[in-house]
This record gives sequence, structure tokens and C-alpha cells, in this order.
Amino acid sequence: MQELLGRIARLDPSASLGLRVIACFDELVVGRVNTRALLASAASLAACTAGFEQRSPARVVRIAPDGHRDDTLAPSRRSELTAHATEDLRVWLEREGPQQPNDAIILERLALAVRIRHGHGRREFDNRRYVGLLVDETVEEEQRCISATALGLVAGRRYRVAVAPLFAVWTTHPAGPEDVVPTPFGPVHAVVVPADHGELDATPCGIGSPTHVSELHHSFRTAMVALRLCDPPSSPRVRADDLGGIVGLLADSAGAGHHPDVERLAAVLEHPWGAATIDAIVRTGTVRQAARDIGIHHSTMQDRVETIERILGFDPMDGFGRTRIGTAHIMWRLENSRVLELPPPPAGR
Amino acid sequence: MTTLPTPPRPAFDAELKAGLAVVGGMFPPTITPDLIDFMRTSYASPPLDDVFSERRIIRQDHTISSHDGSPMLVSVLRHAEATGVVPAVLYAHSGGLMFGDRFSGIDLVLDWVDQLGAALVTVEYRLAPEHPDPHGREDMYAALLWLAEHAGALNVRADRVLVAGASAGGGLAAGVALAARDRNGPALCGQVLDYPMLDDRCATPSTAQFDGVGVWDRVSNLTGWDALLGAARGSAHVSPYAAPSRATDLGHLPPAFIDVGAAEIFRDEAIDYARAIWSAGGDAELHVWSGAFHACDIFAPHTAVGRSMIATRNAWVEKTLAD
Repeated sequence: MQELLGRIARLDPSASLGLRVIACFDELVVGRVNTRALLASAASLAACTAGFEQRSPARVVRIAPDGHRDDTLAPSRRSELTAHATEDLRVWLEREGPQQPNDAIILERLALAVRIRHGHGRREFDNRRYVGLLVDETVEEEQRCISATALGLVAGRRYRVAVAPLFAVWTTHPAGPEDVVPTPFGPVHAVVVPADHGELDATPCGIGSPTHVSELHHSFRTAMVALRLCDPPSSPRVRADDLGGIVGLLADSAGAGHHPDVERLAAVLEHPWGAATIDAIVRTGTVRQAARDIGIHHSTMQDRVETIERILGFDPMDGFGRTRIGTAHIMWRLENSRVLELPPPPAGR
Repeated sequence: MTTLPTPPRPAFDAELKAGLAVVGGMFPPTITPDLIDFMRTSYASPPLDDVFSERRIIRQDHTISSHDGSPMLVSVLRHAEATGVVPAVLYAHSGGLMFGDRFSGIDLVLDWVDQLGAALVTVEYRLAPEHPDPHGREDMYAALLWLAEHAGALNVRADRVLVAGASAGGGLAAGVALAARDRNGPALCGQVLDYPMLDDRCATPSTAQFDGVGVWDRVSNLTGWDALLGAARGSAHVSPYAAPSRATDLGHLPPAFIDVGAAEIFRDEAIDYARAIWSAGGDAELHVWSGAFHACDIFAPHTAVGRSMIATRNAWVEKTLAD
């Protein structure tokens, strides 16, 4: 996998390979793989043999980058490439020559994963990192505040969480605490910035609502909604602030369920004109404005609105119908979001 | 667009899922036509001269004439000590018919060169969409004819030629075996079809299960077949040499080794292909690997699943090919 990391770095010199190493070990810990598998991944990421030693009962395992046991004579251990997982457990990388840029993070993650595998520390809690604890509402408030303090966040100040896929393109990196956080949509890159932080230069990126430290889990969820509404290149970034109250409702809703308006809207969107027309209706106020918005005659728009009304069962231009179609449109976009699946545009890289 | 949920699907193996955190950075799950250029950069093979010299493999390039007279590059790889007349493998690389080159994913088959002493002939077949069907498959067939005609000069056994390929290359290898049978072409001693891309109709249950996850999802597959076949995709006018699942007779083919992941879109077409070979009285060995995503042995050979896939395949090739 070191070769793959090299390819990623060539495709996008700004890509954080450390985040990918973290995400890889996060999955290994969640998947409860054994010591050999942890060593094999470390060796493959580092392109050199990775070793493990337990003092009592005595056991040594050395795994080569191809995942097979390394039966060659072990070189003398380098202290800077050896880590104590516990008092009794040690892991190391058998690097010949100069240390490589990712060695430290690979070794750190390997040591942590081995420690968990061998039953030290509670899997669910202690070994999660501060950012992950901070944005999880099921974690006790006291623990979240401890995490915030450890990250250097100040109680009483307001912050936001911004989230981006691991493959996002960052023009400049913000200075706040950041980490990989697992979500039902896959691992994301989360960063905490002050509420008044300027524009974030990542594509795609969701920027959460401003909150106090103890409510950053809410900011994180609004950021996830915003991220899933991104549609690069036309909408590279979405701010929760721009969505008003609905973003909070969506952030706290259980997700998939039975939504008749969304299902009917999906039928509208099967028409070749559906997506552009719905978008224009939602963003403008009248049939004439919507028609002008996408450059069609208003009588054509009127025909479409009538078709839409027939399918939806309510008038999308009228009173509460506008709220219904706007809500259904955002929910449909969330359900059909592919922003966490696609890589950055290749242009210029 | 539809809001129908994706059907439930088998989970990825834990080690492999961790690998996807890295693989996803250079091989996104969903490849649309606008990503073909990105993939041509990201999936291009790295320089291999050091690997060849370390493994004492000698590379010879030949420019041969393809079916339409166009020049085409093939590389012949053999071990420095394999000096006598040796078995040969004709190899079709992976890359969804649209990207990759003759050295993509080659690491896995180099074992056959330095451990079994075979000569590996790997082909720079032409890629879609610039070169639609029949070029890719006929380039491969032209390379087989060239190999058979030059067996003496190449110091290989004409009676011991195996055709092999991975993913899109697996489909091409199956097509070469069908064409060689139908055209009374050179005899083949076996066909190795790794997670092969066989069916342009893209309608199996496993195809529907993998959308937006893993490596090579439903949309990627549509992109690949559309690039190769254009409007003919899914119609009655698709050659079985391009899409071997279209063949109605799978009798009298060389012994087949087929492997595929349980967690990938090609699972069902690979199983169906093996079943059709058995129904016709043929010889097929089928391995369906639990938790495996597409081509996981190329991307994550260090994992328990990857190692097992490679070892199992190599054992079959040794049995079939080695002196």
C-alpha cells in the first residue's frame, strides 16, 4: 500500500497521507483484526517489515510488506522506530536507511491498535481520540469538555466544525484541531475552527453551525448535512448557516424513513427537465421568475408546474406547498448525495 | 434517478475494508466518463526496472502487427535462468477496458516468471473509448497468433500456452479462448480469469448490490462497457469475444481457473460462467472469496484474503503450466 500512498501524493501533493493511515487503522480496530493483520497493514503501508514482541509469555512476530512472516535474521532495533504499546508489548518498524515521512504515524497507530487488540483500555472509549469524542453526543458532557480542553479550545467561545471527505482538495489548511471521524457515510476529515473563521478552502466541504464547546456535536451533524449537499464543481462548499432552521432538523433526524413527498419528487426528477425545473422553483418566487431563471417561456414553465402538481399532489408555488417542495428537495439531495464517494476533479493535477 | 435503496450486500472483510481507506484515494468506487483521464494517470503502472532486476527478470519489447495492421507493443518477460524452451502465458492487463497498461497489476503474475520459469507475454492492447470493439479483443488475439507463430524464436513451448487476465483483462482472456476454439486457432492449455468482466448487460443481482462502494461499482462497469460498445451495449449485437457471457456454447474450452470476490459486482457473472462451462462438460475451478472487493489481491496483497487468493491461483497455474 506504500506504492498506493505514493500515487495519491503524486495525484494531489496537498493530500494528507497521515489521515489515510489513521483511517486505515481505525477500520482495523473497528474490524477487530488480529496482531498479524495489524502488522501486515503497517508493513504494507511502510514497505518494510513490522515487528511485535510480547515479554510474557514470550512471543515475537515479524511480518513483511507482502503479509508473509519474515523469517530473515532480525536487524537490531532502532529506538526511534520502536514503540511501547504497553509495558509488556512492543512494536517496531525494520526500516533500512533514513526514516520515512509516514513512519511515525504508522508506528503510533500500530502501537495503539495492538494495545486495544490485547485488551488494554476500553475499546469504545479511551482509545478514541479527542475530536471523535468531542463531536459525539452520546459521550458524557464532562468527557466532551475534557476533550475540548485537551484540544486547546476555550470554554465560552464559539466554534464550528467543518467536515470534508478524506480525498478533499485543500488549498490552505486551517490551524484548528483535526482528525478522522467515523460516520455512517464513511470516515470524514473533521476540523474545529473559531466561529468567525474566514472561508475554508476545501472542496468539497460542509461547514457547521457555530456553537459553544459543549454543543460541537450539533455543529458536526449540521456540517455533515452541509457536506452531503455539496455538488462540486458548482457547489464546492455548503454552509449550514445558509440553510436556516431546516439544517438543524435534518441533522437531528434519524435519516432514512418513509417520506412520500420525497418519493413523489423522485418521480418528477425522472423527467429530463425535472432537476433544473425543481431547482429554479425552489430558488425563485414565481412561475415567471423560475422560467427566466432557466431561460424557458413562462407558459412552458406553467405546463411543468402543473405536471409537478399532478405528481406531487400539491401546488409547489403556493403557500405551504413551497415549504413542502423545498424540504423534499433538500431531503432528496441528501439521500442521493454522492459527494463522499467521488474524488476531486483531476484538472491540473 | 430513483430513490430505490441499494439491496443488502455482503460486508467487506475487515482487513480489506481498512485497505479501502487508502485504495479509495487513487481508485474511486464510481468511475464516470469524466474520470477516465484521472484513472489513466492514477492507474498507470509505476517504473518496474528495479523490480525486474531484483527478481532477475529480463524484459524484451517487440512491436508486432495487430489484426488491422497497426503496430502494437508486447513485452516478453522471462527469468534470467529460464534459458531453455519454457511454457508461455499470454497476459491481458486490468483497467476497465479504458485505462492501465501492459504492466498494470503485473506483480502478481511475476511469480509465474521467476518461480515457475514461464515466459510472460503482456500486451499493450488498445483502449476504449478511442478504440472501441473489436480492437481490444482482436489485439489480444493477434498477440496469440504472433506468440504461436514465433514460438521457436521466442524459445517457448507452443503446446503449453496459458491465457490469463484480470478484471477487464479476464474478460479479454476468456474471449481469446473462445475465439481460438471457434477459429481453429492455437491450442491453449488453460485460461486464468481473475474476477473477469464478462457481461455487458450489467443486470446480475451482484451488480445491483455494489453502488458507490468498493472498487469498480455498477456505474463504473456501465462506463467501461459503454466506452467499448457504445449504443450496442446490452443489444443483440454484441460479440461473445467481447462479452464472453454472451457465448451460448462453452464446450471444448481449455481448463478454466476463475476467482472472484463475494463482495463485488462480478461475483454472479463469474459464477454463471463457471456453471455454464460445467454444464457443457468442461473443466472449471471456481473460487469465491468471502469479503473480497474487486481486485483486492492487487491492491491489498498483504491481507489474509489477498494472500489466500494469490497462493490458490499460483498453485493452479503451477499444476497446469509448469514442466
